[in-house]
Amino acid sequence: MRQMIDKYLGYLLIFLMVLITLDVLWGVFTRYALGSQASWSEELARFLLIWIGILGAAYAAGQRMHLAIELLQLRLDQRGRRYLLKIIAGLVLFFAIGVMVIGGGQLVYLTFILEQRSAALQLPMGLVYGVIPLSGLLISYYKLQDLLES
Amino acid sequence: MEVLILVLTFIVLLGIGVPIAWSIGLSSIFTMLVSIPALPAFTTVAQRMATGLDSFSLLAVPFFILAGQIMNRGGIARRLVDFAKTLVGALPGGLAHVNIIAAMLFGAIAGSAVAAASAIGGFMGKAMEKEGYSKEFGAAVNIAAATTGLVIPPSNVLIVYSLASGGVSIAALFLAGYLPGILTGLFLMIVAAVWARRKGFPVGERSTLRQVLAAFVNALPSLFLLIVVIGGIVGGIFTATEASAVAVLYCLLLTFVYKEISFRELPEVFLGAVGTSAIVMLLIGTSMSMSWIMAYENIPQNITELLLSISDSKIVILLIINLILLFVGIFMDMTPAVLIFTPIFLPVVTELGMDPTHFGIIMVLNLCIGLCTPPVGSVLFVGVGVAGTSIQKVVRPLLPLFIAMIIALLIVTYVPALSLWLPTVFGY
Repeated sequence: MRQMIDKYLGYLLIFLMVLITLDVLWGVFTRYALGSQASWSEELARFLLIWIGILGAAYAAGQRMHLAIELLQLRLDQRGRRYLLKIIAGLVLFFAIGVMVIGGGQLVYLTFILEQRSAALQLPMGLVYGVIPLSGLLISYYKLQDLLES
Repeated sequence: MEVLILVLTFIVLLGIGVPIAWSIGLSSIFTMLVSIPALPAFTTVAQRMATGLDSFSLLAVPFFILAGQIMNRGGIARRLVDFAKTLVGALPGGLAHVNIIAAMLFGAIAGSAVAAASAIGGFMGKAMEKEGYSKEFGAAVNIAAATTGLVIPPSNVLIVYSLASGGVSIAALFLAGYLPGILTGLFLMIVAAVWARRKGFPVGERSTLRQVLAAFVNALPSLFLLIVVIGGIVGGIFTATEASAVAVLYCLLLTFVYKEISFRELPEVFLGAVGTSAIVMLLIGTSMSMSWIMAYENIPQNITELLLSISDSKIVILLIINLILLFVGIFMDMTPAVLIFTPIFLPVVTELGMDPTHFGIIMVLNLCIGLCTPPVGSVLFVGVGVAGTSIQKVVRPLLPLFIAMIIALLIVTYVPALSLWLPTVFGY
């Protein structure tokens, strides 16, 4: 299951990264070759960046890539270290559920009710912010697994 | 009271090993929960995370990271080393200078001090040992020089500073970084020369003009990237973000021409860049919620008043800020330190009439030193790792290099022209 999520999350992120690169290059090209730049290209790039940043954070959390100070861990014996890692996973889980799933979900709900749409693409903003609860769920999954495994 | 909760929870979380980005977010949310109900607090943090990333100029960060990682796969390290060797190989302590110049160039091109330390260090370490240099000395020189590339553009940290400072021009920051970066490099070279002469390390052969030119032509495609990017930005041809996307395209074409990367490896390179970028992005997102709560609690104003009540002399205040940042840099990585401390210190120095561009350079140069100090120096760890030595042994030869970096920092701090002359020439 975890490997499956890793794999498809990876594919999605690669796709988004290729898309954002092409989008910005297209913007430069149209500005010089066609004389005017479509207003949607910059907006799309900004939204894709939010997706890449926040969804990528879930990927990095799954791979345990986020930078931490590991001095204390190195000083503990194996049992102490295991407890410590569980405490850390629990704290991250709290953030992922509280802020990202609940807070982010509320944000999405509000923008849907208020029918906020983006200026150029007319995308519902809820779609853009939707990455926060989605990424929060993924991080929760990863951290729950870290918590439960012995 | 809230201030105390923010600072204490942050230090405790960091101390027990919660990743920095989550520590920043968690301490902000804990502080908010004291005075704000849970749901609005959660929603505010979530919103700050998204709006913090909603910036077109920030997009340059993942693109420069991607360009750097594509370059990394190619033979860029070897070509830069060959080029540097023909330039400075004949000076006393020849290979040490080669190491310094190559690491600075690599750091500037790849935009990562860690990548510079591992690529150039891996390459130079063995060569230096073969010629009789001690392993520790080679590692120390490599570690110190690798961080200097961060001030030399294109530089992701300067883009992050531009964001944190509320929109200081990226082009101006890039131009401002050149002279301070080169000055620091020169200081490192002086220390290396003195050290090498005292220890009787060998001097390389002088290269002929033809050899210099040949090596230059070989390194030109990589160096050309710097010209395209910086020339394009400064000349107003494209924005920093567009330049970074062009850099990605350029690196892709280059590696395909040199056949150094196959099409099948590309997805892995892209994913690596996404992972590295996302770490920075999450830091930015959660730092935005921390600066929100800091502004809500009036922390920047209070610190400004506190510092200005100690002294109203610019010299003294800058010295205090530099000392605090040096201390912070020992424990914290560069990006979070820039994100957290820019909103705190920038109001103080602008109150004293300082240029925000100049302050950005001071801050980054200062935090560079922290990257090579124990206990939390990512560049130190990598540099020691590739050299196959230990931190304890490297500290001794690093010491004079630290002192050189601190002297350079003081000069850059108190001579604003060093940072501001180039941007002024180009009309920023």
